[in-house]
Formats: sequence, C-alpha cells, structure tokens
Amino acid sequence: MAATIIRPETDVSELEDLSYDLREKLLLLCGEYDGSVHIGGDLSCADILTLLFQYGMHVDPQDLHNPERDRFVLSKGHAAVCMYITMAIRGFFDYREIVDTYGQLGSAYGMHPCKVQLPGVEVSTGSLGHGLPLATGMALHGRRSGMDHRVFTLMGDGETGEGSVWEAALAAHSNNLGNLVAFIDRNRQLMTSFSEERVKLEPYPDKWRAFGWNVIEVDGHDMGALVAAFDSLPDPDSDTPTVIVCDTVKGKGVDFMEANLAWHAGSLNDKDLQRALAALADGRKAA
Amino acid sequence: MTMAINTASSVPTNTGSADSSAATAGIPGDPEPTTSFTFGELLSSRTVIGQTLKELGETHDNLWVLTPDIGATLVEFRDTYPDRFVDVGLSEQACVGIAAGLANEGNIPVVSGMLPFLSMRALEQVRSDICYPNLPVKIVGTHGGLVGNGGSTHYAVEDLGLMTSLVNMTVTSIGDPLMVGEVLRQSMSMTGPLYIRLAVGKKDKVIYEPGSVAVEIGKGITAREGTDLTLFAHGETVSQALEAAEVLAAEHGIDARVVDMFTLKPIDADLIQRCAEETGRFVVVEDHLAYGGLASQVSDVIADRGLRLEGFRRLGIPQVFAGFGEDTELRDKHGYGLQATVDAALAVTENRPSACANQGSAA
Repeated sequence: MAATIIRPETDVSELEDLSYDLREKLLLLCGEYDGSVHIGGDLSCADILTLLFQYGMHVDPQDLHNPERDRFVLSKGHAAVCMYITMAIRGFFDYREIVDTYGQLGSAYGMHPCKVQLPGVEVSTGSLGHGLPLATGMALHGRRSGMDHRVFTLMGDGETGEGSVWEAALAAHSNNLGNLVAFIDRNRQLMTSFSEERVKLEPYPDKWRAFGWNVIEVDGHDMGALVAAFDSLPDPDSDTPTVIVCDTVKGKGVDFMEANLAWHAGSLNDKDLQRALAALADGRKAA
Repeated sequence: MTMAINTASSVPTNTGSADSSAATAGIPGDPEPTTSFTFGELLSSRTVIGQTLKELGETHDNLWVLTPDIGATLVEFRDTYPDRFVDVGLSEQACVGIAAGLANEGNIPVVSGMLPFLSMRALEQVRSDICYPNLPVKIVGTHGGLVGNGGSTHYAVEDLGLMTSLVNMTVTSIGDPLMVGEVLRQSMSMTGPLYIRLAVGKKDKVIYEPGSVAVEIGKGITAREGTDLTLFAHGETVSQALEAAEVLAAEHGIDARVVDMFTLKPIDADLIQRCAEETGRFVVVEDHLAYGGLASQVSDVIADRGLRLEGFRRLGIPQVFAGFGEDTELRDKHGYGLQATVDAALAVTENRPSACANQGSAA
C-alpha cells in the first residue's frame, strides 16, 4: 500500500475540533448563501465525514488520481457542501472559494456534487440510492485488479428505502467485496417525517446482516467510537463488505435544529446564524 | 456465399473515421473462426455479440461484461475472462450502477440484457450514473420492438425515445447481425455511452453482402439506391423496407431508396437533407412507437433545416399496448407491416391529398 496515509497520528480531540470547525464553516456558509442548504443532514454526517477525510481515508489532495488512493462516494449527495468543506479543511479546495461561489452560475460547488465540474470528487451523485451500486463497481475493480485500497460510501438511512441499495447489497456480498465499506447516517429522519413513523427500517442492522454484511453499530457523534470502529475494519482483502451503522441526530450540534423537521434544509438569517454559532460554541466548550 | 464472421474481412468495412479506425484493423492473432454464415441467411446477433466480446477482451484488458441474468450467450467471455465478467442476477439498476463504477475506474463495461428493463427500470441510472459523467458504458440488448411475443411488459417500444433524449448518449438500432460486431468494435474507441438495440437476436437476417457497405456510427447506410422516395428504417424494419422497395419496383415501377438509419443519435442530418433534395418524399418505418423514435428524429431535421418535402409518412406503433402475436402479425395489425409500407410509399409518390398527414395515432 503506497497511497499516502494522511494523518495517522491525529488524535480524537483534534478530530473533534476539526468536526466543530466543519460545522462552524457550514453555518457560516448557510448564513452567507442566499438559498437553501441541507443543513440538517449536513450536521448529522459531519463527524463521519471528518473521520473519513481527516483520519481514515488514504487520500492526498496533491495526488488526486493515485490508483491506490481510497475512494469515496457520497451517496447522500445533498450533503455535498459538508463534503466540500471537510475536503477544503483537508486541503483539497479553498473554503473561501466555496463560500464565495456556492450555487452560483459557473461554480463547481453546487447542491449535489459533480465530478466533471469538480476534480477531486470521485463520482457525480444526488439522486438517492445510486451510491452503493457505484461504489460496488469501484470496489469490484479494486478487488479483481488485486489492489488493496478501500471504497467508502456514505448513505442516508432514508435513501436505503431505494431498491437499488439492496440490489447492490446483494451484489457486493455475492462478489465478496471486503474492500467495500458503507457508512449509514442513521438520523431517523426523512424530509417530512421521522422515519420510523412512516417507514419502519428497524431492525435495521439486522437487515444488513441478513444480506450478508459485516455490521458495526456506533454512535455517529462519538469521535472516539468512530475511530475505534474504523480501526476495527476487516482487511480490504477480506471477503465480507462492512456497513457501519452510525446512530446520529439530524441537525447535530445546533440545539434548535436537532431532530427538528423544519431543518432538513433551510437558510439562516443573521439572528439565527448567531444563535446557531453560539450553540455550537457552547458544545465545543463543553466537549 | 459462406464466410467466417469473426475475420476482419468478413464484416462490412467502415469508412475509416479517426474514432473508428482501430475497429477495422482486425485483431492480430484472431482465433480460428468457429461460426460461418451465408449472405441472406439467418444468424444470431447474440452469437456475434458473444464472439465479438470475447475477441475484443483479448486486446482490451479493461473490457468488462455485465448482465442481469441474461448471460447465456456470454459464456465465451465469461469462461475466458472470468475476472471481468459479472452476472448480478435480476438487478438492472445495480447492474448499470456497477458498470458506471467500473467505468469510473477506467474500464469499458458492456451491459448486456433485455432492453425493456435496461431502458426503463434502469433509466435513471443510465442517465445519472453514465450519461452525466459521460462514461464509456455500452448497453447492448435484445427485445427492441414488438418481438419475442412476450406481451407489453417485454416489448421495448419507448426505448429509442428515452435514449435519444439523454445527453451524451449515442443510440443505435441494428438489423444485420454482423453489424453488431462492427459497432461493438468501433465503440471501443468511444469516450461516451452507447446504446445498441437488437430484436430478439436469435435469428437475424444478414442484410448486407459482407464488405459491401460502410458501417460507421453516426452515418446512415444507403441500403438501396432510388430516386422516387426514401424509405427510412432501422433494426429489423430495414429488411422489410428492402422487401417493400422490391415490391414497389416490380409491381408499381417506383424506385425507392432505402436508408438504414442505424444510428438514431447523432442522426445523419446531411444524409437526410440529401435524400430530401434527391427524392423529395419520405416514409419512415420503425418497430417503435410512431412518435419518439426515428420518425421524430427525421422530423426534427426536416424542421430544423427547413427542408421541403412533397410527402411524409411515419409508420410505427400507435398509442396502444400491442398485445400478443408474432412480430410480423403485430406489424400488420398495427399498420406498419410490409403492405402498409408499400401503401405509404404509393401514397406519398402519388401525391394524394392525404399524403402529408401523419398516419400514426397522435401522441
């Protein structure tokens, strides 16, 4: 394995700090952008994306096409801005450029990621339920080529209602793709409802087990637990794909957004931005 | 005349565009031919696909073949290159998504299956996972049109309308089984996605004397010269159009040109314009809904270029779910069989008052 291991020495408290930085930058963008941002689902996966881009994945912003790099597929494409910013923190992009151009004509930074417009993004996503098949194809390439990088994807729990997810789950298991790792942002909220009220996904981890996957359950906001889960991943050349079901809260870190259906997406006026930043700062202090 | 199908000289040659030059170079060290055909006889497109993919797999080590449980004719590829073959079972959406993932890694995936499902069930994967990033995934499949007698769940009759709507997609519909191999060869140097439509693919008529026509993706083939009107067709209806032209010549003294517009997108607009100028009358006959397929593509060229015609008819499936029956029976029933084609040609050439009206049911 020659791909760069980015921050092997990063400790948990540094990662927590980076996660707070990510949330803060998200809120500031949401305050500046004159349009709606998927802030609820961004905040629920901020810790997971921090884990991946600041700790776990073998990627190098200076060497985007290294064949041995780990791959990442953002299946919940509406969390694009959260991914852009954590990648900016890592050195892939310029945060100021993201904020200054987000959603504007000609910008590479939009609501859903586009690989053609933004090199560094592995795949174009947005429509839900597409990420796992794409990641499965990428993992299949790695497996059959004898390479030992991993392919990661992040799915929202809601999007696993799409049949294509379970088609790919069958295919990944059938093709022994131990190099494939799926994170589930299990925030239990759809856009307009709390999911278990409308769609009963539980017993959710058991569903993945039944499809032949190695299942890890973790608190998706406990960075130490996330790191431990990551460090316990089976070898990429093993035969069983892994799903890490992360128990999360939509809007995590901003009290008035947490588990609140009003904040699937939205924009922040100055007053709400200050409230949100203050709530976030309180959390950081208490941590 | 009997020839081997997988020798370079046995397939129709192309015109040698830069993109397709590699396709006609032949594959050094070709295995000995195992199948032969006779001009005018029936040959399985699926067999040609299987042999061509196996052959291409030898020189393209990034060629993969995927199928949602329609792999019977892919066994040669599967057995020769098991590491580049995937049967995902009945999962069309995942099949296309996985192909896109493989293409994302620099591979050339061919997805082989039944078109009603690949074109509709996996349509969004085709559009968003393949066309959006413009990946070189080829979708090749059977059951285009009212073939196979499977009923309306199993007929792909909207597929060309759907596929021609997609940005970056190249769309073909092929009647001559040998052309399938040639198109696949040419497609190896394409950067974007490709759709290849076949009929059932078990017994297809060899339409062209091998080597007699130029096959180039994006260019129509003048299958028969003529001056009184042009019959445009694709896929299996090319053969029917040629038969109609024979009837018109023998029984009515009408000299019909037949154009095999096997590439529906990008459409060969220059050829359409030339046919308009030289023959002045068009009949489009296709095994697809009368609106949304080739006739619509041709109509767009007519409108966009301001071409003047003295007669135009479109023959295809009206707005019905077609029911059961053999394909020729269904074509007759729904007004686009051999006799209907002859009648339409007579109508436009006789300049009947009704000649410019659309014959198919309005969309």
